Amino acid sequence: MAAFGSFVLLIALALAAYNLFAGAVALRLIATGQPARISPERLADTARRAGIAGFVAVTGAAFALVWLVFANDFSIAYIAEHSNRALPAAYKFAALWSGQEGSLLLWAWLLGAYGFVLRLLHKTDVKLYAYAGTILAGVQVFFLTLVNFVAPPFSLLRGAIPDDGNGLNPLLQYPEMVIHPPMLYLGYVGFTVPFAFALGALMMRYPGEKWIKITRSWTLVTWLFLTMGIFLGMHWAYAVLGWGGYWGWDPVENASFMPWLTGTAFLHSVMMQERKGMMKSWNVWLIFSTFALSILGTLLTRGGLVSSVHAFAQSSIGNWFVAFLVIVLAVCIFTYVLQRSHLQSEQRLESLVSRESSFLFNNLVLLAACFVILWGTLFPILSEYVQGTKVTVGAPFYNRVAVPIGLFLLFLTGVGPLLPWRSTSLRAVRRNFVIPSIALWGTLIVCLVAGVKPWHDGSFDAGNFYALVAFGLSAGVFTAILSEYLRGANVIRKQTRRNLFSAMYLLIRRNTRRYGGYLIHIGVVIVVVGLAGSAFNRNSESELTLNSTMSVGPYTLKCVGFTQDSNLNYNSEYALLDVYRGGKKQFQMTPEKRVYLASQQPQTMVAIHSVPGWDLYVVYEGTNPDTGNPIIKAFLNPLVSWIWAGVIFIVLGTFVALTPNLAPATVALRVAAAQPSTAEAAVRGGD
Amino acid sequence: MTELQGVIAGAMLALALGIYTFWPENAFANQREKTRLDYLLERKEQLYENLRDLNFEHRAGKYPEEDFLTQRALLEDETAQLLAEIEHLQQA
Amino acid sequence: MQKRMSGSTWMKAAQALLLAVAVCFWTGAASDSARFNNLSHRLMCTCGCAQLLGECNHVGCTESGRERNELSAAIASGATDDQILGSFAAKYGVTALAAPPTKGFSLVAWVAPFAVFAAALLGTILLVRHWSLGRAAASAQAMTPEMVALREKIRRETEAGADGGV
Repeated sequence: MAAFGSFVLLIALALAAYNLFAGAVALRLIATGQPARISPERLADTARRAGIAGFVAVTGAAFALVWLVFANDFSIAYIAEHSNRALPAAYKFAALWSGQEGSLLLWAWLLGAYGFVLRLLHKTDVKLYAYAGTILAGVQVFFLTLVNFVAPPFSLLRGAIPDDGNGLNPLLQYPEMVIHPPMLYLGYVGFTVPFAFALGALMMRYPGEKWIKITRSWTLVTWLFLTMGIFLGMHWAYAVLGWGGYWGWDPVENASFMPWLTGTAFLHSVMMQERKGMMKSWNVWLIFSTFALSILGTLLTRGGLVSSVHAFAQSSIGNWFVAFLVIVLAVCIFTYVLQRSHLQSEQRLESLVSRESSFLFNNLVLLAACFVILWGTLFPILSEYVQGTKVTVGAPFYNRVAVPIGLFLLFLTGVGPLLPWRSTSLRAVRRNFVIPSIALWGTLIVCLVAGVKPWHDGSFDAGNFYALVAFGLSAGVFTAILSEYLRGANVIRKQTRRNLFSAMYLLIRRNTRRYGGYLIHIGVVIVVVGLAGSAFNRNSESELTLNSTMSVGPYTLKCVGFTQDSNLNYNSEYALLDVYRGGKKQFQMTPEKRVYLASQQPQTMVAIHSVPGWDLYVVYEGTNPDTGNPIIKAFLNPLVSWIWAGVIFIVLGTFVALTPNLAPATVALRVAAAQPSTAEAAVRGGD
Repeated sequence: MTELQGVIAGAMLALALGIYTFWPENAFANQREKTRLDYLLERKEQLYENLRDLNFEHRAGKYPEEDFLTQRALLEDETAQLLAEIEHLQQA
Repeated sequence: MQKRMSGSTWMKAAQALLLAVAVCFWTGAASDSARFNNLSHRLMCTCGCAQLLGECNHVGCTESGRERNELSAAIASGATDDQILGSFAAKYGVTALAAPPTKGFSLVAWVAPFAVFAAALLGTILLVRHWSLGRAAASAQAMTPEMVALREKIRRETEAGADGGV
């Protein structure tokens, strides 16, 4: 099976290379109109089919690796390193991406899968899809070169074949880890598709902006995968790493966040290009950067360039990624310089106070946030280069620098929808802001009265201050978005005499992108409220004996037992804690610590009790070696569940935005009512 | 599966994929070049959408009357020029 | 912050933002446990786990327990925050600080994001100003009867019908 895997990987590379070269030659022939012995269209179609065949070949390789993992074939170095006999089946799948070779294969497979769908749908716009498919093949050649020659997943173990493997990293033995990495990869890899479309459209001087409509759903789906990947990662960190938080500004987390920021900026600013033919160069560079950042993300994760808590698979492969990044940027710059005359804006902004300029500022802030994160991630390297000493750029840096920028972005989320498209005067839109402002100030006052004060023990407390601002802004933004829904629904209600709910439904169906987008914004607001809750985290640590208690917030934890257990995969220690509130027993929690046998690595299993107001988060820290008693750390983390609830809105909103619009009936009605002239009939015929 | 069997299976897959790729297919999709007219018609759709949106936002009370009239005039001008070109191209 | 919402002009918003940022650099005296919490979140555990000292929790860490005791002792001895951070940096290297120091080249780390943000904000505002001025100069088209007819047709086709088209 290993020979089969290696062999089909080689075939996949050959097919991808053929796809790239035949595709490039065919497109060149079509572009220049040179006579050729073979019809360029036919050549392009073989290139396309080579892409489809390549996906089948990569699928064969991925299947072979999974097969070998399940067959416990420890003669393969990768499998001996990342799996063991007692590993549960679901985690055997996870072994596919727990190491470098496997995750590169996964990348190639996902890219193949995206390419497969894209090449099947090529009839939408044959030429544009041929360009995009050829560019995808170029990226695929890089990844397949890596898995064939640099990090081959099927290479054999040197020396004696062990009876059992080293096992999967215990940090990865958690349900989310079976979906988080593929989601994140689907996001990373997926940005190759809009990148390929944008680069292709630029290369072929695609007339008009329709390619944006064609790519919209690709970009949105990719964005959704990346978003879900990031949030699943946060949830995993929260539930597994056991330090009470979900985001540590680790380089690997940052690496996933950066393409998300530029991708989000792209999703917003393409609307301006689609509507008004503006900001074409900007958008092209946004998507180029997003792709480059997702490659950089892989480089950071895999290359060992920066130190990170979850650099699971590091090696010297970084140089290959640097070289690839340089080639990608060179191709982008070359194409841009060659074709920039194609990107002249048809229109310009008319006013500082308009939806357009709010998009511009939204882009500015998203990019500033991206810069801050890139800067912070790379500053240690820069510092070492300039002053010879490494510095750490950790959470305190980002909390001070990125949080204000994030709050400004939240502010814009509220302001943008209230501004109409095109120019307008400040005076004209002022009344749109009245209700959101009241909500903002009302919430601030309520919070201050309720004890959320930006000072603590007589000194200024930045965390509380930010939380206060975040709560206020969230209320304002929420009201602003709600008023948008109501305003729109009211128009429909008045004209169609429907009730408010059915008018609202019709409103959303008519412009799914806008109102789905607003739903995503509501999700973001809810997430922000949850994040702001972290300013009020409390914790306490205690060594517990039988029947002793500790308290955190309103809860009292009573230790009613601690014991040990073991199975084939791990040994565990856990404590049984009865949780009391107001003198009444509420529920029982069992924080646990496991030591995995194959890898001899420990792992905490956090016990979490979640209610809308807060999470009670209990960690089994370890055992006191002198007394044998468990040491328990309990956290009271306010509003954490809001984060996960917000994500649900984001996902729902994205699905709404992906739904096709219900066409307005107005055109048909009006055209039917009016006497159509011959020219009009011709126009309709051409539609 | 032995090594030899693996290579044979791989070779058979390779053969199948090769045949699929290079099968002399005559029904491949082709596409005529996009004309200026196609482009203008796409643009017309977009401008119509912008105008409908403008009307809607006006009725939702987001524009003062005077702003709305200016904006509508500007957009209608632009669209009218576009339609003029479309008519011209269609008659040609 | 008040200016930002009521006036809601972009310049004022930017000013308010910068003010908020400046304010967050201002810290004062606090109780010992609050100081421990604060300082342990400004230091890194030096065992190589890349976690904050106050949050390092992995089993068998050889450094964090001892360093936390050291920090408690330093707070009890009455040293100032800067002295404590300085002594940790001297003992374990600058990487023991969770964020770059605010002097020397490392100050660049703090200044650059705000400088870039401010420059980009200013640039965008100037650009939009420039564009909107250019737009005002554009003159209106002459109205021919054909154009008037076309405009009427467009209006018929885009004005909402009875269903209140979006």
